[in-house]
Amino acid sequence: MSKNEVSNDTDNPRIKLNNTLVSCTKGETVLDALERNGVEVQFNCREGFCGVCRTKLLNGKVNYLVDPLAFIDDDEILSCCTTPRSDIEINIEN
Amino acid sequence: MKYTTFNQKTVNTMLEPMFFGNPVNVARYDQQKHPIFEKLIEKQISFFWRPEEVDVSKDRVDFSRLTAAEKHIFTSNLKYQTLLDSVQGRSPNIAFLPIISLPELETWVETWSFFETIHSRSYTHILRNLFSDPSDIFEDIVVNDEIKRRATDISKYYDDLIFATQLYQTVGEGTHIVDGEEHLITMRELKKKLFLCMNSVNALEAIRFYVSFACTFAFAERELMEGNSKIIRLIARDENIHLTSTQHILNLWSKGKDDPEMAEIAKECENEARVIFLTAVQQEKEWAKYLFKDGSMLGLNEEILHDYVEYIANQRMAAIGLKPEFKSKSNPLPWMNNYLSSDNVQVAPQEVEVSSYLVSQIDSEVNADDFGDFDL
Repeated sequence: MSKNEVSNDTDNPRIKLNNTLVSCTKGETVLDALERNGVEVQFNCREGFCGVCRTKLLNGKVNYLVDPLAFIDDDEILSCCTTPRSDIEINIEN
Repeated sequence: MKYTTFNQKTVNTMLEPMFFGNPVNVARYDQQKHPIFEKLIEKQISFFWRPEEVDVSKDRVDFSRLTAAEKHIFTSNLKYQTLLDSVQGRSPNIAFLPIISLPELETWVETWSFFETIHSRSYTHILRNLFSDPSDIFEDIVVNDEIKRRATDISKYYDDLIFATQLYQTVGEGTHIVDGEEHLITMRELKKKLFLCMNSVNALEAIRFYVSFACTFAFAERELMEGNSKIIRLIARDENIHLTSTQHILNLWSKGKDDPEMAEIAKECENEARVIFLTAVQQEKEWAKYLFKDGSMLGLNEEILHDYVEYIANQRMAAIGLKPEFKSKSNPLPWMNNYLSSDNVQVAPQEVEVSSYLVSQIDSEVNADDFGDFDL
């Protein structure tokens, strides 16, 4: 995401994943937004404790809706319980 | 070092490693070196359930209508689940409690094991309903070669760690001869055994349980054995938390966030950890062959189960920093997620028929839009 592409529309932030751009509705989790746009993502508990939806956060910041219990590294997020704070860029390894 | 149930030395647990430091004295949780374990305890306790609250009576009728091959799949699967929880209900306590040095981790292990005992009790609840005398099923678990083969691998790392710890805590470091066999006991060796044991437990929670869950939920997908499936869904939710805890322990070690010597051992024994994981994968594939020996069932066969094992193995390996082994593919059993998602597990098991039932919860979020059609 180049600098001039970044919008700070917090109501409709966008998620960049490889070459796709997905828009989030207000309050929508990253996982919900990806699923709504037909991106296949791994998940189990959808509540922040299993860690299956672990995702690399390359750019941007997110808010957590619940305290994440699963192990996540410093550059990772749990897509099931985070909402983008602004536009974000992620990478899903699996 | 001798184990003591109340260590009278003043110890700052904020500076202790998770394992092999000083024995814990005061069970205090006001300060925590690794707060994650306290959070896991809270979450796990919030999941409390009792098997008797789930009505399994309809399953008896379903069971009588299953084909012989399906009956074999169902009962073998239950036997295996019974074995897994028999081991897990006691082993973390016996193997880990004598060597734990943090109160929050000690209580986590006790909480974890306690929930495994709920699981064990639920298998009796399920089997009592299906058979007027479930003795044959339970007795076969100890003599069935297919199950025994798995039991050997599951228990050996625990047994090895327990024995070495007993030697260490009675006669200390050194070379000891027991029953004509020589045992080298050093702190390094003990820590290695602990590392391998934790990897074996992690593989059990990450892979072995999930293969059995897939079999249970495959019946539920056909609207069969639904009482059983409701129980296993509660068990799966608990196991997910247990898996998270072993992943945390392994990552705390390997990322150098606990005992620096464990970080070295994690590096040194990475290949052994990988072998433990892949052996579990291989054994589960062999188990699938045994399950489907008399024929497969609608929606699940040996090949699909193999693909599922590989699919989850990749994810679970990545979670503990191991390079995924298998070719990545999409989820071969996408419906599994419906059973593993916490949203779909009813809060109160006694209210299983009411999908929207929530206990002590209100939606406190009110938006201006909610009053859109509200006129005065």
